[in-house]
Amino acid sequence: MTRAPEPYRNRIELLQGTLDMLILQTLERRPQHGYGIIQTLRARSAEILQVETGSLYPALHRLERQGWVDSAWGQTEQNQRAKFYRITANGGRQLALSRSKWDTMVTAIASILRPIPEN
Amino acid sequence: MSLWTRMMRHEARKEDLQDELQSHLHMAIADRIAQGESPAEARAAAQREFGNVPLIEDVTRSTWGWLGFETVVQDVRYAARQMRRSPGFAMSVIGILALGIGAAAAMFTVVDHVLLRPLPFRDSDRLVKVEEISAKTGRDSGVPWLDLEEWLAQSRSFAQIASYRGLRGRSFLEGKSASLQVQGTAVSTNLFSTLGVRPILGRDFIEEPTGFTAGKNGPVVVLSHAAWRDAYESDPAIVGKSVRINNDSYTVIGVMPPGFAIPEPALSPEVWIPLTLGHEDKERNYMSPGLDVIARLRNGASVESANAEMKTLQEQIAASYPGGDLVELHLEHATARVQSYADTLVETDLRKALLALLAASGVLWLIASVNVTNLLLARGAARKREIAMRGALGAGKGRIAQQFLVEGLLLSGMAAVLGTALALVAVRVSRSAVPENLHVDLSVHLNLIILGALCGLTLLTALVSSAWPAWLAVRSPIEPALRQGGLQAGSGRGQNRTRSVLVAAEVAMSLTLLVACGLLLRTIYTLRHVPLGYRTDHILIAHLTLPAYRYQGQNMVVNLYQPLLERVDKLHGVQAAGYISQVPLGRSFNITLTLLNKDGTNSKAMLKPVSPSIQRIFGFKMLAGRFFNDGDTATSQPVVVVNRAFAELHSPDKHNPAAIVGSRFMNIRKNATTTVIGVLDDERQSTIETPSEPEVEFSLPQLTLGSGFYQPSTVAMDLAVRTDRAPDAMIPEIRDLLRQASPEMANATFTTMDQVVEDSYGSQRLAAHLLEVFGGAALLIAVGGLYGLLAWVVTQRTREMGVRVALGAGRASLLWLVLQQAGWMLLAGIAVGTGLALAAGRLLRGYLFGVSAHDAWTMAGAAALLFVSGMLAAYLPARRAAAVDPMVALRAE
Repeated sequence: MTRAPEPYRNRIELLQGTLDMLILQTLERRPQHGYGIIQTLRARSAEILQVETGSLYPALHRLERQGWVDSAWGQTEQNQRAKFYRITANGGRQLALSRSKWDTMVTAIASILRPIPEN
Repeated sequence: MSLWTRMMRHEARKEDLQDELQSHLHMAIADRIAQGESPAEARAAAQREFGNVPLIEDVTRSTWGWLGFETVVQDVRYAARQMRRSPGFAMSVIGILALGIGAAAAMFTVVDHVLLRPLPFRDSDRLVKVEEISAKTGRDSGVPWLDLEEWLAQSRSFAQIASYRGLRGRSFLEGKSASLQVQGTAVSTNLFSTLGVRPILGRDFIEEPTGFTAGKNGPVVVLSHAAWRDAYESDPAIVGKSVRINNDSYTVIGVMPPGFAIPEPALSPEVWIPLTLGHEDKERNYMSPGLDVIARLRNGASVESANAEMKTLQEQIAASYPGGDLVELHLEHATARVQSYADTLVETDLRKALLALLAASGVLWLIASVNVTNLLLARGAARKREIAMRGALGAGKGRIAQQFLVEGLLLSGMAAVLGTALALVAVRVSRSAVPENLHVDLSVHLNLIILGALCGLTLLTALVSSAWPAWLAVRSPIEPALRQGGLQAGSGRGQNRTRSVLVAAEVAMSLTLLVACGLLLRTIYTLRHVPLGYRTDHILIAHLTLPAYRYQGQNMVVNLYQPLLERVDKLHGVQAAGYISQVPLGRSFNITLTLLNKDGTNSKAMLKPVSPSIQRIFGFKMLAGRFFNDGDTATSQPVVVVNRAFAELHSPDKHNPAAIVGSRFMNIRKNATTTVIGVLDDERQSTIETPSEPEVEFSLPQLTLGSGFYQPSTVAMDLAVRTDRAPDAMIPEIRDLLRQASPEMANATFTTMDQVVEDSYGSQRLAAHLLEVFGGAALLIAVGGLYGLLAWVVTQRTREMGVRVALGAGRASLLWLVLQQAGWMLLAGIAVGTGLALAAGRLLRGYLFGVSAHDAWTMAGAAALLFVSGMLAAYLPARRAAAVDPMVALRAE
């Protein structure tokens, strides 16, 4: 069955820091290759987050340069040679930091958008 | 991590990234196939989804932080490919830039060698020369010892003050095999330490007593390295040995390092003896010998502050001079001037000339750069599509600009290499064209300063010529260029106008150079046609150096001069031979006489001992009376001949200079007053431009030992020979005779009178030749630029021309169309250029002779030359436009 063409309107612009956080979160569960990360993010966000390769790979290499992930070549289950990324201890700490910042931000925005209680 | 390792790693990582992206693609395709798409569809869809692979690679690689260098390497390779593909364009650009860079580099080399030469002293920028300036002439007069004493006591600006004075006459050092002519200078004991240079052997004079007492070890001497090498074959045991200079014994106490010279420049090997002051130094009068003073500035003092202090100090000192008979003396030592020592070594005229020529070469460089900018603009217009494609593929503005700059740098770099080669050749070739007396050392060696200037010039050229095309390329919108059928290449009206303006600018600058060249050529022409007052053809000159010490007690005129003259006269081909102390326009030696007038003032005149036969050689014109003849001997009545300038000053009848004939003049010796027997009409003695100075001539046979004028007259002499034979044949024969007379004289320098006249033009001739080259090159480049632009325009408008012809326009009107455009550019350029030339003329004013700086004929001539050349160059594309075949033009697209 052919897939329906990806609708453009579902592409949401992700801030660079946010993308880094999502990648680290994905890798925390288990090491993955780039293609796998994209698939995981799509699946878990119900097709809303469709990260382009042009954003993902620069992000991955940046994370590697900052020491939050490291990489190694390996084999997938389909015997395809691929480069796997794995989160490091520093990456874990960075993830926790990013998450707490995100939570703070979300709470702040939500409190502004909350309807004003009538009196 | 070494650069090489880093580069290797970089390559490996690039491949790694490619593999990674490929594996991603494979997995995407595999997934799609697993979901039922056909392999072809899957591949297409996956690639579309993946995106622009090279762009993703680039962006990813940029996170590695090393992209900058890689892009530059890419650009260089691309630029080299472009050059190979259009070699004609590349070569014309490189050629034009090479001319500009080469000219500027050559002039800068000369300026560096002459003006920026490092001196062989410690911290030479702290060394200054202190001079006393005459209020009458504005020139320096020597510093009397008594003044120097006051300076030593009262001045505050100097850490050390030293002095020196040249030894009178020629000095000969007796070496192992022959006598060597040396330049002798008496120096104060602290001179070497003031200059900060220590001897390489022995010691210097610091332990000798100063002032009026003589040393207790007898006369001592310090040799220069050249004297030690030439006379004593660098004998390592020279210190302590006794040597003879002019028949006097001296003990050698030291040898100075090679390259050291004081005073600069050293024309022959130097020797130094301690300065001993005599009784003439104890008082102040017209006869007090002068000293040259060199000093080292104290920490914190500057040349300006020292100058101010010394001016005030000297004015006070001059006010305390004795009055009475010597009332004019204080005028001659009225004020003082302090200058950096380096500045005094180059004549102001030469300095100004060199700087002006440097500016002219800069103008040539600018013309070349503007021309190349024009060419690159044209090229940029042709590459619009290519640049748009790059932009569409993701190149940012910076990247595109970088590409243009790298191309510019590559072209400019190659042009710099070619230009440097041209400059070196030019400098070497023109070494012979520079007259000796300018002391311009053109030995070719590159130093750091020149290399640095060259690199800077290359960068500047690249920036100037590619900045504009780069800016235009970055600004141009991408989409219109990529549209099918759109303007793929070409420029709008705006750019055409810009390029026309640039061509007009080139024309303007070329006009300036051509006008300057024309003015200088006219100056030389006028100089050549100034009536000198004597003949200059077929005269061979020998500058004799005479070992006067050998003839002490004898009359040199009788024992040396006369016999030699007779022998020279007997040589085959000699029509006449004679002596003159210095040939007119010569720079070898002159004697100045100071005369005390009846009213207490004094006047100066040049003293010239000559032999009577000199009249047959030079043919001096007489205003009145007669010249010397063979009847004027040592026993007949003493006579002098004066020149018109002298007669006008001293004639008893102020309105008739000839009336001085018959009046009595000064004593030639005790109890023998001379009579004036003739007045020479004016001749050019010192330079062609300046009128004659007063001059007094004695007949050489009449100078006997008892005469006060004997001594200065026999120190140096020029021998003039009128002969029809070629100099190459005569010189060896005369040299032989000289050697027989006295071995030291064999080293006399020979020249011809014509050459002396040529040399006297000095820096004007050099400047004229250089400007000829610059002007000619500028003309070629500007006219070439005009041609290039018009050819381009015609090519662009071929279609339009075809339409015009098809609609009935005549050939002539098309011709006129192109010529009109050329005419506007030329006229605009000439108009602006005239303004520039007038401004430049003001700078040249002091340099010209016989022609005004605003001379209309020269400007008109240069403008006409430019206009005609430009129109001729425009004719070729115009003819092409007129010959357009409408069928061909309208069909091609």
